[in-house]
Amino acid sequence: MTTLNVDSRGTACPGPITDLIRAYKKAQNGDLIVLVANDPGAVPDSKAWCERTRNEFVGSKEIENSFEITIRVTGKKA
Amino acid sequence: MKNIAIIGSGAGGLITSSKLSKDLSKEIKNGEVTITLFDKKREQEFQPGYLEVAFRGTDPSKIRRPVKKLVSPGVKMVYDNVEKVDLANRYVKTEGSSEKINFDYVIISTGSSPDYDQIDGLKQANMDFHTDAYNASLIYNRISSIKSGKIVVGIGGLPYKCPPSPNESAFMLHEHFRKKGIRDDVEIIYVTPFTRIYSAESINEVIEPMYERRDIESITAFNTDTVDAEKKEITSLEGETLKYDYLFLTPPHKPAGFLKGSDMSDEDGWVKVDKKDLHITTYDNGFAIGDTTNIPISKAGVEAHLEGIVVANNIVGEITGTGQKYKFTGRTQCSMETGFHKATFVVGTYDRPVEKIEPSTMNYMEKKVMEKIYWGSLHGHYEWLFKYHFKKDYFEE
Ligand SMILES: Cc1cc2nc3c(=O)[nH]c(=O)nc-3n(C[C@H](O)[C@H](O)[C@H](O)COP(=O)(O)OP(=O)(O)OC[C@H]3O[C@@H](n4cnc5c(N)ncnc54)[C@H](O)[C@@H]3O)c2cc1C
Repeated sequence: MTTLNVDSRGTACPGPITDLIRAYKKAQNGDLIVLVANDPGAVPDSKAWCERTRNEFVGSKEIENSFEITIRVTGKKA
Repeated sequence: MKNIAIIGSGAGGLITSSKLSKDLSKEIKNGEVTITLFDKKREQEFQPGYLEVAFRGTDPSKIRRPVKKLVSPGVKMVYDNVEKVDLANRYVKTEGSSEKINFDYVIISTGSSPDYDQIDGLKQANMDFHTDAYNASLIYNRISSIKSGKIVVGIGGLPYKCPPSPNESAFMLHEHFRKKGIRDDVEIIYVTPFTRIYSAESINEVIEPMYERRDIESITAFNTDTVDAEKKEITSLEGETLKYDYLFLTPPHKPAGFLKGSDMSDEDGWVKVDKKDLHITTYDNGFAIGDTTNIPISKAGVEAHLEGIVVANNIVGEITGTGQKYKFTGRTQCSMETGFHKATFVVGTYDRPVEKIEPSTMNYMEKKVMEKIYWGSLHGHYEWLFKYHFKKDYFEE
C-alpha cells in the first residue's frame, strides 16, 4: 500500500479534483490518496467523486485553513 | 549585452517576443539586447479554429499562417527545437547540436500536446478534432457521412488544453445533426472524469439544462482507461464499459519531451513556476508561461497571453532599470460555444471563482472578434484593447 500526497493548496475548482483524478490514475486499489486543499469545495466534490467511482472517502479534517482529505482507492477494476 | 531566449513560437512565445521587441527596440538597435525565438514549426495554427474545421467544414488554410509573418521586427527566429535548457549555466541546445547558446533570460513556452500513450487504443479509435487542422478537416468529411449511430464525446483524460472544448464539441455535433434533420437518429453521450458536465459549478448550472433539453446524455466520473477500436468499446478505470460507433474524445496532454525528468519540472514534466510572476522555482533568470506550466488553471491562450505580458514587462523593467514588477492575476477567459450562434465564457481569477455567464449572441460575437484579431494580437497590435477589456485583471502592479 502506498500513500500518495497531493498538495492542491492555492488552487480552486477544478484544481483539487483534477489533481485527485491525476493521482488516482497512477494509484492502485488499497493505496491512500491524501489531498490537501484550501478550496472548501474540494471536500463535497471529493465526496461526490468517491461515491460515483466507488472509492472510499475515509474522511476530511481542517488543518490551518486547509482541508486534508483522505481517500482509499477501492474502485479500480482488478 | 542581454540575450533573451524564448522557446516555442506559439501564442505565448509570439506575444512575449513582440512585447519585448517593442519595449526594447532602442536597446536592440543599439546592440545591447538580442531576442531569439526557437521552434522548428514554420506555420502556426489558430487552435480554437479546429472546432470550426472539424464540425463546420472551414478550410484549414483559413486558420494557418507562416511563422515568418508572425515574428516581430527585432526578433531572430531559429527554426530548430530546443532539447536542453540549462538554467544554472544559462544556455540552451537545439536538437542534434552540441553548440551552447547562451542566454541571460529564458522563457519556456512550449505548450502541450496529446499524450496518447496514457490510454491504450485511443489513438486508433479516436476522431481527434483537437490537435491539428489537417486531422480536424478529416473529421468533417467523416461526420458528413454519419446517418445514425452512437457518438461518445468528452474528456479522455487530464490535463488537457482549453477546458470548454470537449463541451463545445458536443454542442457542435448536436447542431450539425440537428441542421441535417437526423438528430433523432444520432445518440450523443458526453463522458467526463469530473462529477459535473462542466467542472466549475457556475458554468455547469448553465449547461446542464442545455444538455437535457438537447438530449445529450452525460456520464460523469467516468475515467477512461482503455479503448478497444475493434469492439468499439471504452472501459473505465472502474471497469465500466461503454459502446460507441464514433468516438470524439479530447486526449490527455503532456508537456514537451525535454522537460520530463528536468529539475525545473514536476514528475509529469510540467514546469514548476511561481503562479504570480512565472519565474521557474529557484531560478530568477528563467520563466515559463502558457500550457507548459504546472499552474492549476486552464491551459488556454488567454493565460499564455497575460502571463507573457507580465514576464515581458518584468524583464523590460530589469533591463531598463525601472524596476517595474507585475503579477499575473490568474485571469481566465475561455469561450464556450453552445451552438446556434451563442456562447458563454469561463471567466475567473486566482481570487474570484468562475462566474455564471448565460450563453448569448453577444458573447458569440466577442468570440468571433477574437478570431479576427488573433494574428494581429500576436504582434501586440491590440494590447490597448486587451488592457481595456481585462481592466484590473490585465496584471497586478
Ligand atoms: C480545440 C481548441 C480550442 C481552443 N480554444 C481556446 C479558446 O477559446 N480560448 C483560449 O484562450 N485558448 C483556447 N485554446 C488553447 C490555446 O490554443 C492554447 O492554450 C495556447 O495556444 C497555449 O499557448 P502556448 O504558447 O502555451 O502553446 P502553443 O500555442 O501550443 O505553442 C507551443 C509551441 O511550442 C513549440 N515547441 C514544443 N516543443 C518545443 C521545443 N522542444 N523547442 C522549441 N519549440 C517547441 C510548438 O511547436 C508550438 O509551436 C484552444 C485549444 C484547442 C486545441
